Amino acid sequence: MQKKLNVMIVTDSLQVGGAEQVAVDIANSLNRDTHQVYFCATRTDGLLRSSLKDDVQVMVLERSATWDLLKLLSFGRYVRQQEIDVLHTHGRGTMKFVSLCKALGLINARHVFHDHFGRLHLDRSAGRGLKLPLQHGVDAYIGVESRLCRWAIDTVGLSPSKVNLVRSGVDLERFSSAPPINLRREFDLGEGNLVLLMVANFRPQKDHPTLFRAIAELSRTEQEGLRLVVCGSTTADPSYFQGCQDMLQRLKIDHLVRTIGVRNDAPSLMAGADAGVFSSKNESGPLVILEYMASKLPFVATETGEIAHAVKDAGVGILTEPRDYLALADALSELLQMTLKQRTEMGARGHQLVVEEFEQHVVVRQIEAIYLQLLGPRNSNGLITAVAT
Amino acid sequence: MTTAPASTPRIRYPRAQCEVSVALCTLNGGLWIEQLLQSLAAQELLPDEVVVQDDCSEDNTVELINRFAASAPFLVRVEINDHRLGSTANFAEALARCHGRFIALADQDDVWYPIKLRRLIDELKLDPTVTMAFSDADLIGEDSQLLGQRLWDTRLVGRTLRRRAVVPEELFARRALTTGCTMAVRRRAVAASLPFPEVLENTETPMRHDRWLSLVAAAVGTVRALPEPLLAFRVHPDQETGVLVGTQLTHALARATTAVFTAPVGSSNESHLARAEQLEAAAERANEMGDFEEAQTLTTIADHHRNRIQGPGPVTDRLRNIAEGVRAGAYGWDWLGIAAVAGDVLRSVRPGHRPSALHKST
Repeated sequence: MQKKLNVMIVTDSLQVGGAEQVAVDIANSLNRDTHQVYFCATRTDGLLRSSLKDDVQVMVLERSATWDLLKLLSFGRYVRQQEIDVLHTHGRGTMKFVSLCKALGLINARHVFHDHFGRLHLDRSAGRGLKLPLQHGVDAYIGVESRLCRWAIDTVGLSPSKVNLVRSGVDLERFSSAPPINLRREFDLGEGNLVLLMVANFRPQKDHPTLFRAIAELSRTEQEGLRLVVCGSTTADPSYFQGCQDMLQRLKIDHLVRTIGVRNDAPSLMAGADAGVFSSKNESGPLVILEYMASKLPFVATETGEIAHAVKDAGVGILTEPRDYLALADALSELLQMTLKQRTEMGARGHQLVVEEFEQHVVVRQIEAIYLQLLGPRNSNGLITAVAT
Repeated sequence: MTTAPASTPRIRYPRAQCEVSVALCTLNGGLWIEQLLQSLAAQELLPDEVVVQDDCSEDNTVELINRFAASAPFLVRVEINDHRLGSTANFAEALARCHGRFIALADQDDVWYPIKLRRLIDELKLDPTVTMAFSDADLIGEDSQLLGQRLWDTRLVGRTLRRRAVVPEELFARRALTTGCTMAVRRRAVAASLPFPEVLENTETPMRHDRWLSLVAAAVGTVRALPEPLLAFRVHPDQETGVLVGTQLTHALARATTAVFTAPVGSSNESHLARAEQLEAAAERANEMGDFEEAQTLTTIADHHRNRIQGPGPVTDRLRNIAEGVRAGAYGWDWLGIAAVAGDVLRSVRPGHRPSALHKST
């Protein structure tokens, strides 16, 4: 019997975030000739739901914990009813939930876990609560950076044959069709300055303070030559957000910065910006660098994560050591001194690099190959001939 | 890049001018300084500079250093204080003079193993969020012979540190975990720690330079503990760092227990107030650097010290206060926390809780 592969992408929520965006991009770009795509947010709905293609069947479970028995039963029933072949989870909480579902015998689908964990520098441990579901509930492990893959093999003890490095990609369609927003007019930024955009939720990991201190380090002339728009959730960590606001005032640069909260039109914001900026302490991706490149934006970013390491010598952005505000100030200064032509050329180089190496279809083919490897042979049309469960 | 910033954050520091500095503080160290200097010269990764701050030595320490400097494979910069500062302030001076991206601290009487600097600096280079790395040490005697013990174990922190790759700021806030000679620190953390606040020099409860530095480093970044011994740490009667070997440790514990019954209640209160002020100073530095979460953690521990100041009211109030601290987990759940609870309970039922200026002011 020939049938399409039923794939369910599973995340914690559909709220705006790097891992969630990767999940949505995968759901949208899996080959429709060979895949039927489902999406499950196990906790909450969110703005990203509107980004999913119409043919993706969406389920929001609203579970309260890993051990939410009613939701486990309901999830298992849905997976069986839809005859899901592959569950592709993002986020460790979601992975544990699905592994538990498997352990209880509620589902029999293959489980691919996509690990985006960005705090490996703080926590390399793997307690029983993490090891057991990874070892016994996961059929294939995808790490978005090589450090994660090494951790999965060395610390968790997964077989190297189960572990796959797949760098995140970006769906260029989201950016090529995005109408630019005039940021100067929309946010009353004045004229004659360079508008920098930082897309990052207000969380400690994103290290906005280092960026603010870097801006404070610039000369008055340089400061007046730039405006910063920060797009991202202000409610994810309210005390951190408040700390950032206080810092802006303390440094007397609050007039240079606009905080616009979470938005679902980031591609349009990027299309209207002059450059991107990103100051994170530690990342596994970070996806936003690819998004800047997809938007043809020159950028200044901290060198952290697989993507930043991969593009560092390509001349597509200015990269600095994380947490070093003096180096970041130098990079901003360098950006401010670039001509429009130089910035445009840098943006074009970034776009070209994304097309060649990070375009979503390139990445999703790797993921489809992992599904295929798990499920056994297909016929010449890419359809499953035998579903091994 | 201009050199005149428009707005000046309080914590600023000059750019690094070299890769690795060693900050060495000396005082009458003529007996062992040559061994240390030779071990620095034998490092697999040589420092770019050794910054010596001499605290008015009366022996031949400076002469020996100058003789070594003439043929050293790195720059040696010696400065002699015009009056004696004490070890904490002396290290503050030395750290402020260092030009390196990474700064290792040295004591005059130790012997570094050749791999020490490379191992610590590699750890810092591997992850830019790491602000400090420190190691264990073998203990040696005055005759340079190994004593068969490790530094961490004699400070009763071996088990704690071997369990954790990353040491959080709350551990440093609760106790001194390490000594300066085992550390290498990223410039960012050194900058955040300078200038040293006056509250460190409290006569009842001083906070030494290395505890302050490690506390700030943990608050503005990540601290890694490396369990391998990277140096030989000399134990001798004149040293400032308290290392207790053999029966000394038993006697010290006995003295601490006796003090719970005999020391005036007021001195314990002053000690808590001093510690609270020191932790608040570290929290302020973390806040300045944008590490708000870590600043809050330190402030919470400082508040706990303030809550432990015992007032003149009824004993039931004092016991209730302790019970609330336990319920909130403020004492911690290790043996140190249990000992602190026991000590506070004993102190609270002892006579001698008179109104004091200290209690009124808090």
